[in-house]
Amino acid sequence: MLESLPSTKKTQPTSSHEPQAQPQVKSPVASFELRKNDKYYAWLFLGPSLLLLSIFVFYPMLRTLYLSLFLTDNFGEPTVFVGLQNYLHLLKSAPYLASLKATTTYVVGVASLTIVFGLLLAAMANQKLRGIEFFRTIFTATMGVSVSVSAIFWLFMFNPTIGVLNQVIMFFGHQPIAWLTTPGWAMVAVIVTSVWMHLGFTFLLFFGALQSVPKSLYDAADVAGASSRYQFWHITLPMISPTMFFVAVITLISAFKSFGLIDLMTAGGPTNATNLLVYRIYKDAFMNGNYAQASTESIILAIIIALITLIQFKLLAKRVNY
Amino acid sequence: MTKLTNSLKRYWQVVGLAVIVILGFSVFGYARTQVHAASGRTKIVFWHEMKGPGQKQLNSFITAFNKSQTKYEVVPQFQGSYNAVIQKIMNTHGTTASPAVFQSMDISSSQMYHSGYTVPVQKFIDRDNYDISQISSVARGVATRNNKLLAMPFNTSQTTLFYNAGLLKKYGIKPLPVSPSYSDISRVSSQLYQKSNHKIKGMSVEAYSWLFEQFLSNANEEFANHHDGHVGIADKVKFTGPVAIESMKWLQGRVKAGDFMNYGNSKNEMAAFLSGKLGLFMQTSADTSLLIKGLGKDLGVTYYPHPDGVKPNGISVGGASMWIANDKSATVQEGAWQFIKFLVSAQTQAKWEKATGYLAINNKATQEPVLKQLYAKYPMTKIPGDQLKSAKANYTNSGIFVDGVVAARALIENAMQQIYAGKDVKQSLQTAENSYNKVLKSTNRANGHG
Repeated sequence: MLESLPSTKKTQPTSSHEPQAQPQVKSPVASFELRKNDKYYAWLFLGPSLLLLSIFVFYPMLRTLYLSLFLTDNFGEPTVFVGLQNYLHLLKSAPYLASLKATTTYVVGVASLTIVFGLLLAAMANQKLRGIEFFRTIFTATMGVSVSVSAIFWLFMFNPTIGVLNQVIMFFGHQPIAWLTTPGWAMVAVIVTSVWMHLGFTFLLFFGALQSVPKSLYDAADVAGASSRYQFWHITLPMISPTMFFVAVITLISAFKSFGLIDLMTAGGPTNATNLLVYRIYKDAFMNGNYAQASTESIILAIIIALITLIQFKLLAKRVNY
Repeated sequence: MTKLTNSLKRYWQVVGLAVIVILGFSVFGYARTQVHAASGRTKIVFWHEMKGPGQKQLNSFITAFNKSQTKYEVVPQFQGSYNAVIQKIMNTHGTTASPAVFQSMDISSSQMYHSGYTVPVQKFIDRDNYDISQISSVARGVATRNNKLLAMPFNTSQTTLFYNAGLLKKYGIKPLPVSPSYSDISRVSSQLYQKSNHKIKGMSVEAYSWLFEQFLSNANEEFANHHDGHVGIADKVKFTGPVAIESMKWLQGRVKAGDFMNYGNSKNEMAAFLSGKLGLFMQTSADTSLLIKGLGKDLGVTYYPHPDGVKPNGISVGGASMWIANDKSATVQEGAWQFIKFLVSAQTQAKWEKATGYLAINNKATQEPVLKQLYAKYPMTKIPGDQLKSAKANYTNSGIFVDGVVAARALIENAMQQIYAGKDVKQSLQTAENSYNKVLKSTNRANGHG
């Protein structure tokens, strides 16, 4: 159906370099009509999505930007114009900078550990062993577990009095750890939970990538006498680099967006140690009713994510072997 | 070209279908928000935030109310947390999604009052000559402005100290007096910790601002200026008064002594208490029914603690009140008022206290057989109610009438966590105080309060 669209394009003079290559078969009038039609079709097909995007994406974005320049009252209405004061105030506020630091720790921790462990699991599952299919299924299992279920599940594991982890620690004669009530351990706890949750999907992607590396490459390397470690660094890694890049981008962005986990496990505490940027925005807007500050934080977060994505594309894309 | 025409035809079909679906949903949604229910009664949409035993009991009240008359039908909608519902009201008022009557917590009174979104229940009280003296005056304090009742208290609680009397007996520790001082509690907590060979933690106080606020209330110390906002718009808070410092230093001392444990949240705290690993803790009286289920007659209950050598001033009530929204028709508002009257009747309140541990605010409720039986079987369940009656309402024990206390609470809770982790008491509280004074300044500016 829609394949017919590109065919209309072909009739247009596509480039001025080779006017002779496409002799003027159609009259100028017909070509003009087609071009007019093109515009018509473009609006027709882009229209609905543009309409939806402007209502649900562009308008909220602009409104957020607008609100960030005001103070908002109890109803969330902008009342006093303050220019960039909200931004200056935030970037000087110690709790906000602490949130920024916590978010960095969390995001870097989650993304790197997910990649390392995902790859490790995939490499193990890629071995040809009897019954390996069972493990391949098990390793992807966390994909089917919702945020709330895994948060509750890990809350039980981390419970200070009846949790399994502390039982094990005490069995070996150590002092129990207050997992979710000491700032450092709370960060460890949410990172562990988040990595566990991300692992299933990451494993699946890496496993698919490993399976698609041509076997002939390894055969050739074997003949040449390359060690399996050398094969991993010089064949496997370059061959799966596009997947690696993809995983790095999506885990990083998904870690930035972690909300349910934080809400259910620590609610940003203790002493704001796990008060990540996204959670802070939610609390400022929907608990504290400070829409101006929440909007300012949203804009800053959007800028941060855009910058990081840009850097990733600039730096990593060079190393990716397509 | 026929291919293109075909695909265009298909395009319009898809668009048409989408439009029909969207219209269908709108009509469906519109029908759902209509005031007249299928039964021909006027629909009263009611937002609440009750969970667990409270939700179960509240739903059975609603069923009973709906059966008791033929004009109205109350439709309950659970809305999550007290904190979230304030913003939901601000954001939905005047739309078909907003409720006719809603439950909102003690510290939201100021914001609800200033929003102008509600009808003070005083209007109906005056019209009907409703006898308001039957409702506890301390409970009314949190929703009163200029001697007018803004909303009807419904689920009223008090911060209460719970202890495991069975454990105290086992280790031969003298029980707590009904109205304990800080040092009474230290004694029991450290004895329990020592005598159990550090196996049982003596005490816990959740890093929860409500508990901090009640330390101030009980020693008659103000939280915000203009008498906690009751006589004007507060523009300064004080978290570093003598009682604030003393209470937090006391708790930090217990942490250092080792008998205090911070469980992070009330669920873990309660789990430890019920499994006999924690001697005493302070929480809402609304937990009483759950604790009785777990400990039975071994549950010990006392008033909220006061500093040594200070006469207890009484504490403000917690919990929430019922507000009538002013964006619905007079008929709907009338239905909401009838429902509220039903909820605070002596019978309903007696059942409510038994099922949950929220305190019956109707003074006649103690005469109901339900409560008489409960008090006879478990005498300690009477103590939180006695605490409520023992206080005389004044500004410091009538809640905090300041907009946006939710944000202040987050700052105080942060300070409490820092204090438990060993940071300087004065400095932690000072940081919270300074931050909130800044917030208050810009909030007042944004709301045109100068």
